[in-house]
Amino acid sequence: MMSYPLVLAFIVFFVAVTIVVTWLTQKYTKSTSDFYVAGKKVPWVQTGIAMVGSYLSAASFLGCAGDISIFGVDRIWLSIGFFGGYMAVLMLIAGPLRNVGSYTVADALHRRFPDRRIKLVVMITTVVISTFYLVPQMLGAGLLFEMLMGWDFVTVTAALGVLMSLYIIFGGMKATIYNQLIQAMFLFFAMTFITVFGFIMYYSGSLDALLGAMANIVPPGICGKDAAAVAAVQSAVSPAAAVSVSREMLPAAPSALTIGIQTPDLVSQISTVVALVFGTAGLPHILIMFYTVRSASAARKSVTLCIVGLGIFYLCTILLGFILMPQVYPQLVTWIAAGKQGLAKNMAVLQISGKVGGQWLMAVSAAGAVAAILSTSAGLMITVASTISHDFYKSYINPNASERQEVNIAKVTTLVMSVISVVLAVAVKGENVAWLVTLAFGIAASAIFPAMVTTLWWKGLTRQGAIAGMVTGLVVSVLFIVLLLSGVRTFLGLPTAGGPGVFGVTASFIVLLIVSYRTDDRGPEVEEFFALAHKDEEVK
Amino acid sequence: MSSPEHEKSSPPPGGATSPYRRKAILSFSIFGVFFVFYMGTAVLQTPTFSTLAAIQWFGMPLGLLLSLLIFPVSWALIAIYFRLGR
Repeated sequence: MMSYPLVLAFIVFFVAVTIVVTWLTQKYTKSTSDFYVAGKKVPWVQTGIAMVGSYLSAASFLGCAGDISIFGVDRIWLSIGFFGGYMAVLMLIAGPLRNVGSYTVADALHRRFPDRRIKLVVMITTVVISTFYLVPQMLGAGLLFEMLMGWDFVTVTAALGVLMSLYIIFGGMKATIYNQLIQAMFLFFAMTFITVFGFIMYYSGSLDALLGAMANIVPPGICGKDAAAVAAVQSAVSPAAAVSVSREMLPAAPSALTIGIQTPDLVSQISTVVALVFGTAGLPHILIMFYTVRSASAARKSVTLCIVGLGIFYLCTILLGFILMPQVYPQLVTWIAAGKQGLAKNMAVLQISGKVGGQWLMAVSAAGAVAAILSTSAGLMITVASTISHDFYKSYINPNASERQEVNIAKVTTLVMSVISVVLAVAVKGENVAWLVTLAFGIAASAIFPAMVTTLWWKGLTRQGAIAGMVTGLVVSVLFIVLLLSGVRTFLGLPTAGGPGVFGVTASFIVLLIVSYRTDDRGPEVEEFFALAHKDEEVK
Repeated sequence: MSSPEHEKSSPPPGGATSPYRRKAILSFSIFGVFFVFYMGTAVLQTPTFSTLAAIQWFGMPLGLLLSLLIFPVSWALIAIYFRLGR
């Protein structure tokens, strides 16, 4: 077991550093442009690295490899999909969005359709997406401290929720570009170091050896459900012996390379990968990083650096998931057998970091994960709080609200969101955090992406079509998620196991198209909007 | 959410149909290539096609190999996208 004072001390130190950096940065923030996009003065290398940091949350660092280590090859699609989502953003969304001068989804839609109902629908969707995105952050934090400190999960998660709210309410800490930069470097370093050294230590750098091991091993998710196999694994003298004895006990069991352990059918797979590839474009906190550079040329370089960095990171998560499965096999099987699914699915990366690099590497990994959780949570909470206070409270309930009243509403919203996310995190504590984030992606893909891409590329979209599409996507996706998490396997003959992706996206597009063809409000200046969105860029 | 001030930009002179069409063809074509490869590989990695996915290619199952190739293929497509988009 880890020497946790060192890990705890490092986590506290790292969080303190990020607080100081944020405070120092905010001292020099004068305008909303400075606040949102660092005044467009940041060099492209720093922006590229910060883009990586803004995209990576604890779900990517802990959840991707963690889920592969439990179920095998089926779960590599979380890593691939998180990376693939950036392709849709880059090719279909980022350029036109930047050209129209919008930093957010709501701004872009409102620019073409100046109707506050559009903003209301986007606001509601943003709140729902953010809540679903916040739950895995709370879950990851609670499990991390449960594993490291041995504290009760419910108590520690509730305490973290309170601490996080106070951190945001009193500091108003929004993750700055410099925090994202530090976080990216920590997470990237930890992931690549663990992967490369683990690969060399345990497999001598041989891919054949790794694949051979995977072709033989019984995934912990399977072994952990057989009492006799669990007992044999727990009595084994080493991880290698545990892997061998589990195969002897379960000769007919699938291996880590067997397809179908977690992907029951074709439709579920399609639903999952559709959510991942289209969901990124609808996430509230992703697009804004595209505007922190001074020119289109610099933006290209930043994005290229980001895409290469993300690709390397997610490739490492796939490799690491396979590498760590045999090395922490007894612990994973024990956790699953004890009903601690959440620990098994999410904490494997920290376990292997301790084995590869000792206490220091585990401390660095844990600190990086906590920093990612804090910055993602802070960003989400602040986004929702300001949306509720400004776009809803001031617009619809109290148009004469003072700034102080808006701030108070924002603080109350932060507290309410914390409570909701803690309650939901406790309810889903057995789930993998990357999988929960995928569900949030499913809502974004269903509710936001169809309206977003048609706003930017289709002159035939109408205001009524955009609103109808977003509402349809939101309702369908949330319905499927609620059914899935409630254990309902099918709905109207459609499987829920893969999440809402394909159903929500399809329904949203269909409704959007039908309503657009039957209505005619295409926006007051659609030709000018398109001329602006698709203007030729200056080459510098 | 508070909106930052929009940067004022005026549309280019002479209409914008040509740049729009050119960008639409470029963006959707390259994304389409990526999407077909991505979805095709995802479909291959399902129980329905597991026999085909298990065929050994270059020392690993075909499905796994194609899944990992999504990364370098994407990088190549981005390079093409940026080059053609100038």
